[in-house]
Amino acid sequence: MSCELNEKDRAGVINPIFTCQPAGAQYASIGIEDCIGIVHGGQGCVMFVRLLFAQHFKDNFLVASSSLHEDAAVFGAAHRVEEAVDVLLMRYPDVKVIPIISTCSTEIIGEDVDGVIRKLNEGLLKEKYADREVHLISIKTPSFKGSMVTGYDVAVKDFVTAFAEKDDSNGKINLITGWVNPGDVTALKHLLSEMNVDATVLFEIESFDSPLMPKGDAVSEGSTTIEDLKGTANAMGTIALNRYEGGEAALYLEKKFGVPAVIGPTPIGIRNTDAFLENIRKMSGKPIPYSLVRERGVAIDALTDLVHMFFADKKVAIYGNPDLVIGLAEFCLDLEMKPVLLLLGDENPNYLKDPRIKELQEKVEYDMQIIRNADLWDLESRVKNKEVELDLIMGHSKGRFISIDYDIPMLRVGFPVYDRAGYYRHPVVGYAGAIWLAEEMANVLFTDMEYKKNKEWILNVW
Amino acid sequence: MPYHTFKCSECIPERKKHAVVKGEDEDLTSCLPLGYLKTIPGTISERGCAFCGAKHVIGTPMKDVIHLCHGPVGCTYDTWQTKRYISDNDNFQFKYTFASDMKEKHIVFGAENLLKQNIIEAFKAFPEIKRMTIYQTCASALIGDDIDAVAKEVMDTMPDVDIFVCNSPGFAGPSQSGGHHLINIAWINQKVGTFEPKITSDYVINYVGEYNIQGDQEVMVDYFKRMGIQVLSTFTGNGSYDELRGMHLAQLNVLECARSAEYICNELRKRYGTPRLDIDGFGFKPLSESLLKVGLFFGLEKEAQAIIDEETARWKPELDWYARRLKGVKVCLWPGGSKLWHWAHVIHEEMGVDVVSLYTKFGHQGDMEKGIARCEAGALAIDDPNELEGIEAMKKLKPDVIFTGVRPGEVAKKLRVQYINAHAYHNGPYKGFEGWVRFARDIYNAVYSPIHQLSGLDISKNEIDTDKGFMTRQMISDVKIDKEAAIVSGERQYTGDYDCVSKLRDKKYPKIEKQSLSIE
Amino acid sequence: MDDIIQEQVEQLVDYIMKWCLWQFNSRAWDREDQNEGILMKTMQILCDEPVERETPSDKCYWVEAVILARDFKDNYPWLSKMEKNEIKILMKGLKEQIDYLTITGSLNKELTNPVY
Repeated sequence: MSCELNEKDRAGVINPIFTCQPAGAQYASIGIEDCIGIVHGGQGCVMFVRLLFAQHFKDNFLVASSSLHEDAAVFGAAHRVEEAVDVLLMRYPDVKVIPIISTCSTEIIGEDVDGVIRKLNEGLLKEKYADREVHLISIKTPSFKGSMVTGYDVAVKDFVTAFAEKDDSNGKINLITGWVNPGDVTALKHLLSEMNVDATVLFEIESFDSPLMPKGDAVSEGSTTIEDLKGTANAMGTIALNRYEGGEAALYLEKKFGVPAVIGPTPIGIRNTDAFLENIRKMSGKPIPYSLVRERGVAIDALTDLVHMFFADKKVAIYGNPDLVIGLAEFCLDLEMKPVLLLLGDENPNYLKDPRIKELQEKVEYDMQIIRNADLWDLESRVKNKEVELDLIMGHSKGRFISIDYDIPMLRVGFPVYDRAGYYRHPVVGYAGAIWLAEEMANVLFTDMEYKKNKEWILNVW
Repeated sequence: MPYHTFKCSECIPERKKHAVVKGEDEDLTSCLPLGYLKTIPGTISERGCAFCGAKHVIGTPMKDVIHLCHGPVGCTYDTWQTKRYISDNDNFQFKYTFASDMKEKHIVFGAENLLKQNIIEAFKAFPEIKRMTIYQTCASALIGDDIDAVAKEVMDTMPDVDIFVCNSPGFAGPSQSGGHHLINIAWINQKVGTFEPKITSDYVINYVGEYNIQGDQEVMVDYFKRMGIQVLSTFTGNGSYDELRGMHLAQLNVLECARSAEYICNELRKRYGTPRLDIDGFGFKPLSESLLKVGLFFGLEKEAQAIIDEETARWKPELDWYARRLKGVKVCLWPGGSKLWHWAHVIHEEMGVDVVSLYTKFGHQGDMEKGIARCEAGALAIDDPNELEGIEAMKKLKPDVIFTGVRPGEVAKKLRVQYINAHAYHNGPYKGFEGWVRFARDIYNAVYSPIHQLSGLDISKNEIDTDKGFMTRQMISDVKIDKEAAIVSGERQYTGDYDCVSKLRDKKYPKIEKQSLSIE
Repeated sequence: MDDIIQEQVEQLVDYIMKWCLWQFNSRAWDREDQNEGILMKTMQILCDEPVERETPSDKCYWVEAVILARDFKDNYPWLSKMEKNEIKILMKGLKEQIDYLTITGSLNKELTNPVY
């Protein structure tokens, strides 16, 4: 009985779990109000990422491109960034923040984005936009390093670095959520509000779930402000829920401004939510109120109805963003399930020293595999060759055909989810997330039992 | 020249000649926007890149192939599972995607070995697949990897495999169209003439510029087979790699999307003397004439006419039901390239809708020529539209529905404009006679959606009916039609199946003997 | 050309523009061949003259011409009342106008690109 941490044993990728760094930086950028990023590279690096956002949220988000063409690849493309900034500022009068997000192509040709920004700050912005607040931020996200996860992490840190500014203490907590959905932010803010804690949430993306209004004037955009980002230097502490998606920013604030950082745990499941609240209690000095004891009780009640009868010993494979995968695996264990295969889609060396992974390696009593730099073929080939037998898959929509072709029930979680309706609206974090996850797992299993006529009658009385 | 200046683009002089309004007395010598020029940075254009044009649009619909991108993983991931080009081999081409996964060390030291390893691994993972396409990306182009050499090396050691290399990095041209071009030329240069597929009929065509979106190709191939024609290859939807190597053996190239595939037809005409016949698979009249032309070419016009008669009798009453209710509906025809001209006139003629605007994301002036020639006077034609221009146009023109892609469709949604997916379709296929009815049905469902009607209601201001529990589409649409005439005419709503394509896959076709060519 | 013929040419041009694609090959030299091949054969069909269709390209032009001639006759009843020499004048005018719109007067900058 062991838990192995391995790497994919192939050089290439068959059906990737992650896209590349610039996508993560773009996801962070859309969380900020009056912010339109410019991706410095080919147009596809933007067009497809925007499509991905549209697939996931069924809404449109703004990101611009420097539209790199041949000549730029040969002669350099600094002027394309200069033009892009000018065009963007002329046509979008509210834009204040412009991250310039690099890609593989512009990193390889050695574009000096910092130099371009200096030039623009000294020239164009002073001359043409003197009365306008404009922040140009260089975000270096070569696509050949890391993944969309590290790209997100880099961008969060760069935004915080660009804006955080020492002032009087604001009495708030910085809550860096990581790559989550609007439903998660709602759940987290609910917990904070019950704790009576004032927090700066990076990023405020509840507004991604935007309405269709009679006047036709609504848009989907993030609502974290420059002031929010500035104030992160003056918080009483930072809680970064996801080690790999915002952890660096928390460490930066600690190092630079002495804002104490707590990294993790990702509050997926009861236990990790308890820990999250404990961390808030310690940081804020505020007690955990009865309302949350009750809310937790509702969740426990819901889970109690499911665990022994339906979840016990069910074998699960989970893939996706690392903190999500680890958080889900931990929750599954509490639910008496057996996560047997965890797939992390990049080769981040920090996974090797992640205490949560170490804990799994030391403590699980059955065979479990964790694969770094994994792709979806790592999952499919094991299923195909019957190296693992699975009762449930949890992951994002790109793996949907494994579920479909091998008849394995699957709960969509993470990003992107485009083959189920409205999942971005539901949380996976907090007690509310624990309920949603467990009940959705159950319903997915129930549907599968009925579809396969596998003891479907058991649901007659329950 | 009747140029249209968008208010939002007054500050970008380069945009001045990219939009025109077709006036009553305008023709193509006085009314044509510029096209296929470099994108203006920061405009938030809708264009993609040349890599996706090659790999995603044209390469990947090929069904029996390992599609491998040589570069970092993002190009592969991002262009995977975003389209609906199905195939009759259980969609291998969009279920599996392959990336060489170039990392920093490869950028520094080269990635040719990595690529070679990838190729071998991929064939090992899918031993039944013996064909591969490899796509260059920005990264592998910039570090100068010789993909052709690696492919050749592998082919030398693995004689049963065949590999096609497409060098079309993302930056190769103003838009995805650059990639369409490069892959067309690469295919004819590298692969056409290297394999001889079995000829099973006296009448042999290539079906070109057709990507089997939701089964378009299968519907059209059914017609051709019913006529006794062998579709030797389809470039590329539901197409087979080896069949496409035999394109030189066809007697006729039947071309749908000239935007993405006229290059290879032109080259086949030049190199092999194969004529190019441009057709429209959309709309009863254009489709009928297209089938008849192909029939005439082979002396099979009776067979063609029989299909036209049968299909028209079956589906025309259903098209007419929708057309009666779509009359005067205002449409923005905002696709990528070819549908701008495929649909511009026929939706007006056969469904009665009014095209108030057309645009092309990646088309060339030649596409605008066709679109402007076909649309009615008054239409606003836009080349390489950007986000703000699209919004400005919608606010000004107030269309009832726009035909465009997923993301611009979401922009429209927020403005309370309904949208139909012009690239991937809502519930297609849209080609074929039945398909055309499905298109009309989808437009009807969008325009007369009760929820759409509710979306305009402001409960804080408008007086709300308290005695209406529901509305049906027909309660909304039939307010303005002549009910008597509608009943008398025998028209009916769509009666086909949700899936009208899969059943074609098991169909048997009679062999048609060669006939004399004496016609007229 | 007199006004009536002019008006008739306009009608035929409009028909071709709305329903045909053959006049819009991507290069000028191909447009010349297409216009010449198809409109010449259309004229021959309308005038009951023999039509060359031995080579594949002639056959392809002929196919387009058959359909075009049929559509012209169906849509423009005045055509059947015309004498053959009038039809020839009409079709000459049509060819000139299509050449003008698609080649000599075209604003399409890619027409002269020497390669496909």
